[in-house]
Amino acid sequence: MEAKKQVRRKFKFPPYLLLLLPAVTFMLLMYAYPFITSFTRSLIGPDGSITFANYVKTWDLYLKDIVFTFAVTVFSTAITGALAVLLAVYLRFRRGLIPTILSGLYKIPIFIPFVVVAQMMNSFLAPHGLLNIALAKLGLINIDQPLQLFNFSGLSFGFIWKMVPFSVLIIHGGFQMIDDSYIEAARSAGARLFKIITRILIPMSKSSIMVALVLVYSQIVGTFTLPYMLIGGKSPTTITVDIAHRVNYFRDFGVANSLGVFSYFLVFFTAIYYLRSSVKKMAEAKPAEER
Amino acid sequence: MFNKKMLVVSVEIIFLIFVFLLVIWPMMSLFIWSIAETWYWPSTLPQKMGFDYWKQALGMQQSLAIGAVSIVPAFFLSLMIAIIVVVISMLIAIPAGYALAKYRIPFGAFILFLFLMPNAFPQQPIFVNLLRTFTKLGLAGTVSGVILVHILVGLVFGVWITNATFKSIPPYMEEAARSVGASRFQAFYKITLPLAAPGLLASAVFVFITSLDEFTGTFFVGLPFVNTLPMTLYSSSGYNMQFASVIAIILLIPSILFMVLIQRVLKAEYVGGMG
Repeated sequence: MEAKKQVRRKFKFPPYLLLLLPAVTFMLLMYAYPFITSFTRSLIGPDGSITFANYVKTWDLYLKDIVFTFAVTVFSTAITGALAVLLAVYLRFRRGLIPTILSGLYKIPIFIPFVVVAQMMNSFLAPHGLLNIALAKLGLINIDQPLQLFNFSGLSFGFIWKMVPFSVLIIHGGFQMIDDSYIEAARSAGARLFKIITRILIPMSKSSIMVALVLVYSQIVGTFTLPYMLIGGKSPTTITVDIAHRVNYFRDFGVANSLGVFSYFLVFFTAIYYLRSSVKKMAEAKPAEER
Repeated sequence: MFNKKMLVVSVEIIFLIFVFLLVIWPMMSLFIWSIAETWYWPSTLPQKMGFDYWKQALGMQQSLAIGAVSIVPAFFLSLMIAIIVVVISMLIAIPAGYALAKYRIPFGAFILFLFLMPNAFPQQPIFVNLLRTFTKLGLAGTVSGVILVHILVGLVFGVWITNATFKSIPPYMEEAARSVGASRFQAFYKITLPLAAPGLLASAVFVFITSLDEFTGTFFVGLPFVNTLPMTLYSSSGYNMQFASVIAIILLIPSILFMVLIQRVLKAEYVGGMG
């Protein structure tokens, strides 16, 4: 309220403050405050005292799930990165009808919400689901012993299915920025395709590849829907599912928050990389001063 | 030479078919389940197919045998929440996106951080702590509480997309208007806003879809009283595959439409948070 008065007086009040005020206030109350309390509440025991008991309990009960989450995330991110680079290379070099169709087709999963992906994988990967039926028809498996996929492999499949297209979009964007002349020069100097990929395309679009990997990694750590609907309470499961169980069944916010802090630690390095590179990018594109 | 070309093309065709199956097949699974009325193991396809579950979901029939209720109320609840979320988010996001694009702001890095952090860290602990706060405030399990959480999820994208849009408009346009006597607000309203309209619209549609599909925040803050479409999908997925598949397809349609619409203005990093 004071701010408004000041604007009407002669005192020159920076106009951007009022423009930013609602959004920043909202984010402070609805994001920064709960973010900080996820640390503070993880240190408060059931009796209200300050203690590490929640962390001890988390370590005892959920270490296996923390390792599982980390393993699924690293595995899915690595496979996603490799597949995305390959597909992006293909789309960068090939011209014609088939690459055009493919470049429309591959994008579809990006837009499918995670809750739908979860339901899709839940029916597709089921013991009696379409995947097992088809593999049996092809004679690859015995239909009486279907693949059990509501575990590490099915979860990774779901993540990779959803994340590869998104990564291709970013990495292909990076590849497109590289001028053809570099590639032509390398070709005329006798470089083969493999050399061009490893010496030109990948090094020159390192930042897009890193951003894709970092975003995929941190998203997988934080995703709740897919593991919840695919694995649920079975062991081992992901941190996100454990948090939901702690809150829904026990109203145990202490352990839920210490699990949350563990998930923050899992993304610590990727988060720093993402924040630093994003702020740097913003600083490079300097805003126009308005006077 | 000719043979080599043929070989490359056939490998490409096989690759195309492979990708096609990989993308479409899981989606086919949803579709087949949505029209399966009787499907006993180990039949490859359902023994009896029909649109009974669709009719039931859309409120066109009420059969006790199917054991699922109409999703029409959930649909309208989701729609109402999404519309309110878009209006409030955009009212907050447009000024912020504009300010971040046009002014040099002290503590600018801190403000950028605040809007980037939800992308960098898992959001679930945030929802858990909001649930506690909301319980104290009487907002847990209410539509207002869910709207607040959806605004949180949508606002970040709203601010980034509007910010990128305003940045793409050269500052001399507004300066020219100012120099012929327009006030700052007039210059914005008459010059910048129309130029930014497509980007702002894309951003609004994005926030709309985000709200429509939001699951985790609603799960923590809204259950068991706020049954949006994704919540209804979740609660039926355990025991009624057909019904869950119908809802999944209904949620899929706006997302795919959106994809066709914003292909042109698509910025890769924003779509990362979808779902």
